[in-house]
Amino acid sequence: MNAQRILILAQQVWLETLRRKDVYVLLILLTGFLAALMSVNAFGLGQMAAYMKETGLLLAWIFSWILAINTSTRQIPREESQGTVYLLLAKPVSRADVVLGKWLGTWSVTVVATVSFYAVLAVVALLRQSPFGLPTLVQALLLHSTLLAILTAIGIWFSTRLNYDAAATLTYVLTLAAWLVLPRVPTFVLNTTGFQQWGLMLCYYALPHFELFDMRRRLVYDAAPILLADLGLILLYGTVIIAFFLILAWLAWRRKRFVRGAAV
Amino acid sequence: MDYAIDISNLVVEFPVPGGRMRALDGLNLRVCPGQVYGFLGPNGAGKTTTMHILLGFITATSGTARLLGEAVSGPIARQRIGYLPEHPDTYRFLTGRELLTLAGRLFLMPRAALRQRVDELLALVGLTQAADRRIGVYSRGMLQRIGLAQALVHDPDLVILDEPTSGFDPLGRIDVRTLIAGLKARGKTVFFSSHELSEVERVCDHIGILAKGKLVSEGTVDALVKADESLEQYFLRMVS
Repeated sequence: MNAQRILILAQQVWLETLRRKDVYVLLILLTGFLAALMSVNAFGLGQMAAYMKETGLLLAWIFSWILAINTSTRQIPREESQGTVYLLLAKPVSRADVVLGKWLGTWSVTVVATVSFYAVLAVVALLRQSPFGLPTLVQALLLHSTLLAILTAIGIWFSTRLNYDAAATLTYVLTLAAWLVLPRVPTFVLNTTGFQQWGLMLCYYALPHFELFDMRRRLVYDAAPILLADLGLILLYGTVIIAFFLILAWLAWRRKRFVRGAAV
Repeated sequence: MDYAIDISNLVVEFPVPGGRMRALDGLNLRVCPGQVYGFLGPNGAGKTTTMHILLGFITATSGTARLLGEAVSGPIARQRIGYLPEHPDTYRFLTGRELLTLAGRLFLMPRAALRQRVDELLALVGLTQAADRRIGVYSRGMLQRIGLAQALVHDPDLVILDEPTSGFDPLGRIDVRTLIAGLKARGKTVFFSSHELSEVERVCDHIGILAKGKLVSEGTVDALVKADESLEQYFLRMVS
């Protein structure tokens, strides 16, 4: 592995994403939604600010989720379908460099876009005279960024063996299930027995717990930041998951045969 | 002596419905440094598969392949190699200059030297005027030219070209021929596949003819082709 080549590949992802203009579209959409929300004052000033923050954060989550999955799952399949993988791998670049470069590029692009979403939201909240608490905001951003790193790692993993459409769909299904269903699994477990119970428990412990990275409610209701020890543990948990999926991606891609034009 | 290319008993099989298909069947091939080697064969003979093995895109079922004394499995061997694929599809969101800069950076070339080299190469392949245009608007011939330039950016010792003249008009073919002659004059090894037998006859020291995954003939053009036949006739005799 070579850090310099990984950074060069990550820069390529940046250049491509900026030229595709996806990020600008999402940012404009978010700003538009917030502007529309600001113009409405249906619930009185205090409630409106909380409602606006909640909706804005949900939109920031959804947009960053879309960006993370769409950007990460298209990187490797497109290299393969357009044939650029042959130019790339003919250079002294290892497959691990490509996997890490693609992941780093998509993650960093998504994080910068997410920071921009939060910045727009923070400005709007300030204009509504209901600013976010800075320490909580920083923690929320840090955890959200870690979550995006996990999403992009999963997206890259699926895309090493599947085409873009299949990889994106599978990543959406898995990650949304992990985010929305997993926190409710303990309730289901209580109502099941035998294999069903074991299966649910296995899912519960095997899938990443995205709810740990979600600090939106604390931000909306101006709650205090979480303890630093807890933050550290969640970040460690996230790092382990990211490493796990990136290793899976490398294992899936390192021996993949590229046979376009070969006598198959 | 380290051969530029050294392939021993190479077998490549691909899974196909109902069994396995042998694309290369015990291939043995050696290319000396400084040679211009024309790799010929009908479609499906295994030329591209051989090149893909050399570049690590495919792993062999059995046998060994070495480039400039290095095993082909790792990225070290590719440090001194330039490659032009058969279809030089490339990053269409980049300009020609950006693509060459990217290629040079992946070889960790110093920035100042790279800038100069990129300008030289753009002039060499006749793309100076189009250097700052997106590759997405390039014609087929221009794509082939920028593909050639990216293969040469780090001044490689061994250049592997898969059908380098496809997509070129007659003038472009003359340019490719001149370019290969220039590489040969500088002691570089060129290994290329082509269906243009007249081009091969003009530029190659050695030829190898591949049929059904086996090397059926190898040597200099003069030694192989009889006085009363053309390379085309010889080729047809060998592959039939």
